[in-house]
Amino acid sequence: MNFWNPYLETLPREAYDQIELSYFRRMFSFAKEHSGLYRDKLKGIEEKDIRSLDDIKKIPFTEKEEMRKYQEVEPFPYGGLLGAPIEKVTSFRQTSGTTGKPIYVPETYESWQWRVESWCHILYMAGFRPRHRVFLPFGYNVYVAFWEAHFASEKVGCELVPGGALDTKGRIHKIQEIRANGMMNTPTYGLHIAEEAKSMGIDPASLGIERMLCAGEPMPPATRKRLEELYQCHVFDHIGGTEPCAWAGMCEAKDGMHIIEPFFLVEILDRETLQKEVDEGEIGVAVVTPLGRRSFPLIRFNTKDLVIKGKNGCSCGRTSKKIKEVVGRTDDLRKVRGVLFSPKTVEEVLRKEFQEVEEFEIIVERRGLMDVITLRAEANPGLTVSSIEQTKARLRESLKVATNLSFNVIMEPPGSLPRYTLKAKRFKDMREGGKNE
Amino acid sequence: MNEQIRDEIERIEKSAKKLQTLAQDNPAILKNADILLTFVYILKFINPVPDEEANG
Repeated sequence: MNFWNPYLETLPREAYDQIELSYFRRMFSFAKEHSGLYRDKLKGIEEKDIRSLDDIKKIPFTEKEEMRKYQEVEPFPYGGLLGAPIEKVTSFRQTSGTTGKPIYVPETYESWQWRVESWCHILYMAGFRPRHRVFLPFGYNVYVAFWEAHFASEKVGCELVPGGALDTKGRIHKIQEIRANGMMNTPTYGLHIAEEAKSMGIDPASLGIERMLCAGEPMPPATRKRLEELYQCHVFDHIGGTEPCAWAGMCEAKDGMHIIEPFFLVEILDRETLQKEVDEGEIGVAVVTPLGRRSFPLIRFNTKDLVIKGKNGCSCGRTSKKIKEVVGRTDDLRKVRGVLFSPKTVEEVLRKEFQEVEEFEIIVERRGLMDVITLRAEANPGLTVSSIEQTKARLRESLKVATNLSFNVIMEPPGSLPRYTLKAKRFKDMREGGKNE
Repeated sequence: MNEQIRDEIERIEKSAKKLQTLAQDNPAILKNADILLTFVYILKFINPVPDEEANG
């Protein structure tokens, strides 16, 4: 069987359109009735005003900034974003918080199971089946991606092996010990495991991984190919986020990613006006509405993901819309070791907590197969050697808390870093294709 | 076929609701019936009838 849900994955276009319009209208009314954010935001628009998919374009986007604002009210910590009674919430997740205060995401049992069901499509499309013993080399923490992977693996019928609380060598031994044949990881970590295995005298291809599903950071085609060569396995990609869920995944044809319809209504809109759907082959911003998740209603969420719209049709037989490739984000955040990172977060920490630091510079480099992030901090002239050491330690700790990344911290002598009269260029991304600002 | 599946889902829904009525003092049965209703919601979501959806 090639499809997780043969009926739902091969519908004619007009059926998808009918169902998605109907589900959208239902979710619109639900959000307006149950969420403080949408009670205010959708005032003056009624369900009866939405008669076609074109009418949806009249409804305002949902932006992360306003979500933060509505989160501040009761009930804590979800505020006006909550779409269910607080006593129905059964799990907490959050965004990484790299662009500001994290968004706290409530899941009821129902919403979580809806989310898991949509994730099953991603796994099944990528060829994961009950015969796979899937290793997840992460502790999942409060971040959603690998929790979804975990639960969806179980639902599809795979045998799931959680691999948190081990170091990389331990994980490699565990893969060998239990003969895992599937893996889910960030592309960077997949490369690192391969490198570490080689240093242990183990050919990554001999680990026996047949399928790998990647998450957490953009994966250029060359990286996917490199992983396939190293492990001699099939490697698949998908796209999503904590707020909108995972909304598209790669099938075995590996020709772009299928939007998981009708779980999600995805609009790919021109970057300048965010009004018009782009044509096939053009870059647009993905605007996503999850159509059945009621604990955390989201209407036209601006993901800020820049994607190339794909062609219709696929040799796999699925009839859903596709995206060809993910090309970046409109707000130009960086992914470092799979974590979304904004240089502004560092500036905020420094300006708020470290008066003794005058100037700074952030450098991201690729050393071997891993990203390394370094803060060069210029101390006030009056600092003693011991207080410089204390500052370094505090910096490492505060930055880890604020960004979820471990920084190398170098204290530089006063006056050694450049000063800027116009826009500062304190961030240097030395990785291939990286940008400085 | 789709309509037949829908009919069966609705039967499960009725049974789950009946269980909740019959076992109001039994948290375990109430919770498990509630879980059945969660999957009823998902089963309905993944078994839409396009013509019905079009007619609202």
